[in-house]
Amino acid sequence: MLKFIARRTATLVAAVLLSSFAVFLIPYVTPGDPVRKIIRSRVAGDVVDESVVQSLGQSLGLQDALFVQYLRWLGSFFSGDMGLSYVSRTPVVEQVMPALGVTVSLVTVALGAAVLASLPLGTAAALRQGRRTDRWITAVTQSFIAMPEYWLAPMLVLLFALKLAVLPSAGWNDASSVVLPAATLALRPASYFTAAVRSGMIDALSAEHVFAARARGLGRTRTVLDHVIPNGLLPLATLLAVWFAGLLGGSVIVEVIFAVPGMGRLLYDAVVNSDIPLAQGGVVVVVALAVGITTLADFVHRLLSPKAGAALV
Amino acid sequence: MQVVLLRVFKGSRAALGVVAVLALGGCGLGNGTGGNPGSTDKAVDTNQRIVVDNFRAPVADWAPESDAAYILSLSGCLETLTKYDHAEGKVVPFLASSWKQVSDLEWDFTLRDDVKFQDGTPLTADAVVASLKHVLEAKVPARAFSKKVVSGVKAVDARTVRVSTPVESPLVPYRLASVNTGVLAPAAYKGTSVDPFGHCTGPFVPVSEKAKQSITLDRNENYWGGKVQLAGAEVRFITNGATRAAQVQTGEADISMSIPVASLPSLEGSRDVTVLKADSPRTATLYLNNKRKPLNDPKVRKALRAALDLEALAASVYEGAALPASGPFAPSEPWAIDGAVPPKQDLDAAKKLLAEAGYTPERPLEVIAIVERAEFADVATVLQDNLKKIGVPVAVQSKEYAAAEPDVMAGKYDMLLSQRNRLIDIADPIGFLTADYSCEGSYNLSHFCDAEYDRLIGEASRAADSKERYKLYARAGKILDEQAVNLWLVNEQATDAVRKEVQGFVQDPLSRYVLTAQTAKSGS
Repeated sequence: MLKFIARRTATLVAAVLLSSFAVFLIPYVTPGDPVRKIIRSRVAGDVVDESVVQSLGQSLGLQDALFVQYLRWLGSFFSGDMGLSYVSRTPVVEQVMPALGVTVSLVTVALGAAVLASLPLGTAAALRQGRRTDRWITAVTQSFIAMPEYWLAPMLVLLFALKLAVLPSAGWNDASSVVLPAATLALRPASYFTAAVRSGMIDALSAEHVFAARARGLGRTRTVLDHVIPNGLLPLATLLAVWFAGLLGGSVIVEVIFAVPGMGRLLYDAVVNSDIPLAQGGVVVVVALAVGITTLADFVHRLLSPKAGAALV
Repeated sequence: MQVVLLRVFKGSRAALGVVAVLALGGCGLGNGTGGNPGSTDKAVDTNQRIVVDNFRAPVADWAPESDAAYILSLSGCLETLTKYDHAEGKVVPFLASSWKQVSDLEWDFTLRDDVKFQDGTPLTADAVVASLKHVLEAKVPARAFSKKVVSGVKAVDARTVRVSTPVESPLVPYRLASVNTGVLAPAAYKGTSVDPFGHCTGPFVPVSEKAKQSITLDRNENYWGGKVQLAGAEVRFITNGATRAAQVQTGEADISMSIPVASLPSLEGSRDVTVLKADSPRTATLYLNNKRKPLNDPKVRKALRAALDLEALAASVYEGAALPASGPFAPSEPWAIDGAVPPKQDLDAAKKLLAEAGYTPERPLEVIAIVERAEFADVATVLQDNLKKIGVPVAVQSKEYAAAEPDVMAGKYDMLLSQRNRLIDIADPIGFLTADYSCEGSYNLSHFCDAEYDRLIGEASRAADSKERYKLYARAGKILDEQAVNLWLVNEQATDAVRKEVQGFVQDPLSRYVLTAQTAKSGS
């Protein structure tokens, strides 16, 4: 157990260091002068005063060597300070935390809906393996995978906001404004989750202990509830964690279309504007959370799975 | 219906341009600012609130020297000493009742005596000076009001503010109309941060903010400019154009700013929404490197101009939402060149000019299409096709502007497809004409240099009379046009959508003024 925790903590630190350094390098390896990008993000227009470029670069320390800049950021990060945004000059933490809260809420609702949909669908498909129900569920859910968010989101707006006028087309105000962005995000994971539940259930249904339970006279429903579903859901736990981690910073399209003030939009804007402290702070928080969630999922998986459980010791 | 709405979100598609052109057939393109002609004649309800979808979000924590000032201004919070009246084409009084040039380098502005900030403190010269100094001394100053163009600000007496300039300039009143010079009460400045909430002078008081989403404003009951017709407003920051269009169509927003071309057909088909258009100070331009062969020869440049079919370009790629350009200025601008008309495609004349210039297609000319404007990829393809007809091979390269800029500024390029806002600093094109086309211009992408042009612009920069100045601009513009310094393609349109219930809305092509005391809404 201790080994597992130590190994995962080391992974967490390495991931944070690597990702923060990669983000730090983005403005320097992409075309264009970072200082000019910062100025243009504050004051629109192409003409930039050279003296302003010089003085701003100096005041932000952007003329120092790259490793000096990075070590400076690292030092303040480990002392609990994520610094000030280059663009807004407000504390990074004050921008990252609200955005993270929004995205975590959105992703939780989306994945919750995906799980709720996939459980009965996956179970039904597994219990009727190879029959018409299975074929229909598989075909419909697989078709969701081919629906990109930039297409699906406008379609949902078209139907529910413009045609039926039952949901807001954008914004982040009340529960109703969560429905469309969450539905857009939920559809693809729901199809993967359904497939995972289906295959997990099929494996579980053919397990020896299930046959043994049935041989002992346990009813079909009881067998499914007690022996098939718990084991069949194990792959879903890992998949859920991976999707959660991925969507934390990867829901930018949905956030832009639905005007959701989340992490995807924050990180995208930060990178475009060369706002290095904001991008670093945002990425580090997302990576840390992502590693933490996948670690937790592994832990739960190992705890529940008799085979993997041994590895925890 | 589905086709139209698909277009709202999928971006422009030239193949569907015919639909847009047909839709636009019934809607004349305005040439200036205009009200909401489709508004209902129902009585105004002063208890109504309004929702405005704006296309930008504040990035710099409400610093007035940043673009956040535009949001505060359009929200009816921030006001300036002077104001540019687009319809009249001149600067008019706002917080200052009058102004005069008291010496070559000094201008005095006399403040109105009936203005109070929203926090109840009076508008005094000291308060204005403190506000302007904050902008002047900012690390990233506004171009309209930086130390390059303004050397100092001081209070002469309780009601008079003196603005000094490093060189004589008749444009100081224009600088004081820039939204970046909006005046906030002293209590708004806390250390390095600025808090405009409750510290403006305008008809609407910002009362709350949802970060990155919106600000909510209430009516200023003590507004100096008369009774405010709305109880309040919410200004939302919706960066996605299709979302803004959808919100005004569903009624979630009353006014949506800057509607993308692809969304126009569906909005123009709606009975509840009016689409307003005005010439914007933006012209999509094919910049030509005047210092590099073969484009250093005016005959080659003119040949390229004669090869272009601007009408087809405007109708296809821009789906009729932009007009063929007749030169460096839009025809409705007060400094437009008299009698200028968009050039017609004349392939024979183009070929003749090329022959006279001795042009041989030794290498394909490269067009850089900046990716920040998605439609430029299509524009470049149309230009490539046009120029192929006169035997000029063109290679198109898509680049981020930041990636292209160093080579363009160093003169290591052939052609660049881009666009500039002529009035981005102040409501006068002097900054643009100087930076972009004078021999020492700081943003002379064309690497153009002409002594007569520089003389005219120098004279204009000293001309106090705006009519005289505009004539000089027109003459300078004519030089640019005659030498085909660049190829001006289409004049873009500022396009806003307004619900029928909205009254008293006057479109501003620069999106500085949206909510005013006169903006109203009828009861539902």
